Amino acid sequence: MNDLTLMWKNLFRKKTRAILLLISIMIAFFIYAALFTMNGALNAGVQSAKANRLVTVNSINFTVSLPFAYYNRVKSVEGVVDAAHASWFGGYYKEPVNQFQTFATDPEAYLNVYPELITSPEERAAFINTRDCLAVGRELATMNQISLGDRIPVMSNIFSKQDGSRSWEFEVCAIMDYEPETGRDVPANFALMHYDYYNEALAFNRDMLGWIVILTEDVSVNDAVSRTIDEMFANSPYETETSTEAAFGEAFLSQLGNIGLMLSLVVGAAFVTILMIVGTTMVLAINERIKEIAVFKTLGFPAPRIFRMVMGESLLLCFFGGFLGIAAAQGAITLINPVMKNVLGELSISWDAMGYGALLMLGLSLITGLLPAFSAMNVRIVTAFGKH
Amino acid sequence: MRQTLAVTALNIKSIPQRLGMSLATVMSVALVVAVMLGFMALTNGFAATLNNAGSEDVAIILRAGSQAELNSGLSRDDVVLIETAPGIVRDAEDRPVSSAELYVVVDGIKRSSQTEANLPLRGVEEGAERLRQGFTLVEGRMFAPGAAELIVGEGVGREFQGFDVGSTIRLGSNVWTIVGKFSTGGTVFDSELWTEAGVLQNLYQRGASYQSVRVKLDGPEGLSQLQDYAENEPRLSLDIITEKQYFADQAVGMTRLISAGVALAYIMAIGALAGAWNTMYSSVDARVHEIATLRAIGFSGGSAFIGTMLESLMLAAIGGLVGAIAVYVIFDGMSASTLGGGFTQVVFSLSLTPSSIISGMILAIFVGLFGGLVPSIRAATVPLLQVHR
Repeated sequence: MNDLTLMWKNLFRKKTRAILLLISIMIAFFIYAALFTMNGALNAGVQSAKANRLVTVNSINFTVSLPFAYYNRVKSVEGVVDAAHASWFGGYYKEPVNQFQTFATDPEAYLNVYPELITSPEERAAFINTRDCLAVGRELATMNQISLGDRIPVMSNIFSKQDGSRSWEFEVCAIMDYEPETGRDVPANFALMHYDYYNEALAFNRDMLGWIVILTEDVSVNDAVSRTIDEMFANSPYETETSTEAAFGEAFLSQLGNIGLMLSLVVGAAFVTILMIVGTTMVLAINERIKEIAVFKTLGFPAPRIFRMVMGESLLLCFFGGFLGIAAAQGAITLINPVMKNVLGELSISWDAMGYGALLMLGLSLITGLLPAFSAMNVRIVTAFGKH
Repeated sequence: MRQTLAVTALNIKSIPQRLGMSLATVMSVALVVAVMLGFMALTNGFAATLNNAGSEDVAIILRAGSQAELNSGLSRDDVVLIETAPGIVRDAEDRPVSSAELYVVVDGIKRSSQTEANLPLRGVEEGAERLRQGFTLVEGRMFAPGAAELIVGEGVGREFQGFDVGSTIRLGSNVWTIVGKFSTGGTVFDSELWTEAGVLQNLYQRGASYQSVRVKLDGPEGLSQLQDYAENEPRLSLDIITEKQYFADQAVGMTRLISAGVALAYIMAIGALAGAWNTMYSSVDARVHEIATLRAIGFSGGSAFIGTMLESLMLAAIGGLVGAIAVYVIFDGMSASTLGGGFTQVVFSLSLTPSSIISGMILAIFVGLFGGLVPSIRAATVPLLQVHR
């Protein structure tokens, strides 16, 4: 019988107790892994942001539009490689509750600025050359059962045409995907339309744009470019604010509130709980076995070996329970993926989550195992046998 | 009965011998209840802020199909037509009690994160104060007509920096003077900045356009009179609903947060249940001889069962109480803000309601009940002979 078998046997000598402990550890790690993954999905936009991509918005707020003339002036700023403008269309499809996120833009420039947005060369050409073409993201198309070649109306809950109608007719001539290797699997849940097709029909707010996305030569010129742009429009009725794509995304997320803190509190609460449960149980379990440990010592087991055995039991418990929990979280995520895919993208537990999880397991087993291991190591044979 | 009491007393008196485990159980139940109540306090606070804002006798009028004020647009002509409609309360000079409004989303700096967040800068007309129940100026004065002056809601002052009365603030290319602070008793309007509608139209290039008209409804028939009028007027294409309904629709998204939070608490409860089970199991284990002795001298299995069960329930109930008290002390009344339905920040106070405390306690009792069940059965069925051998 080697030490590992001994540890395993010791752990499961009281089956109910071991299983209960495993369940509580499993649940804590389940919560940890599930929330870690959720948080990652929420931040996906920030993580997929390119370092040399900037966003220019109205300095009042990003919901306030800018004059279209700004686009050409921004494009000519030194250090700007390419730029695309976009306007929020406020689209919905069929029912007002069925939001259909649509941006009006210059197709070629937009696809240049977002190289991770891919479509076949034929579809790309069709999109660029057809005025009433709508390029629909894969996930959005699936969700609404739209396929290539369909003619569909998209309504706006903000804009109306000069004839009073609020519906724009499109031919779906491109389906867009996000290149999978750009980090995470971000869902393409929006559609793109020609700015001209949108602007010409508008009853109001003509020749305005929502925001400008800029590709700079290099990260090192970011600051200079954003300063030049914002200074160019200072003291005009439409002042601008230019920031990196990542900063823009983070600022938007933080508007929802301190999600990170909230998730940490929940995960923290779950871990404090198991820390106490596992900790006290381990102390108890070793106390019950003091006599046996004394027997081991009598038989000549060196103190470090006893220390290792108790410590190992705790490690075994935490890692076994921990990985079970992470596996369960992966199972749950796989289950909800078909439902959530279009909103959050295909989720899975990242190696990061695994790594930090393993560190947590190690920490947990050290905290819960050290005290019993020391007391086991220091058992005095005479005292122990005096106990009953 | 006396047996049960005796056994229970014995159980409880012996808790100090298992202090560590008992405390762990109490704390784990406390944390589970705290997570659940924390989420509930968050949602209740948010919902209360929206629900209190909506009044049954105020109608909000938007362009048809726009769903939210931000998307809506009404011309001066629309507003004039609306103000002549029946079903609206009129004052002594026969003017309708109404306010045509528009808002621009502006950036404010959140105190907590030092990041920019959306705030509504609302342009209002004279009737606006009368259309918000409980509107009071708590500091300073009202903005003067035609001036670039603002009054700020209490919530804005609390959560955002730079909005003290007397100071000036730059929003876009315009500089505003803050001349007063108002309160509507913690409703969503406390998260807004107000100025005169005309000033806002001028400074932010809005021409003569508005986004919404709020009107005071004349009795319970008012709404349908107004709706009939708008339907029969070919020049108008409007959505007219009570303000209460408008805000109720906006609160829907937040309910998802609560269901996610409560689901988390339930999952954690399973973990705590395992902990309670474990504790009670050890409790029975430690007293196996004692229980067997009691049974041998004539105590019934039932009293052993109830004694153990009561110990478990007591630990769980204490845990539940500790959790509820902790949430009350730490979170109740705490100010928070999030992005609301109007795409702008809603400042609200977390509030722990009695009904959520009851839900928390029920969850705690469940943990105690199911955690104690199997160990209690074991206590009741200790095989006397085996133990004493």
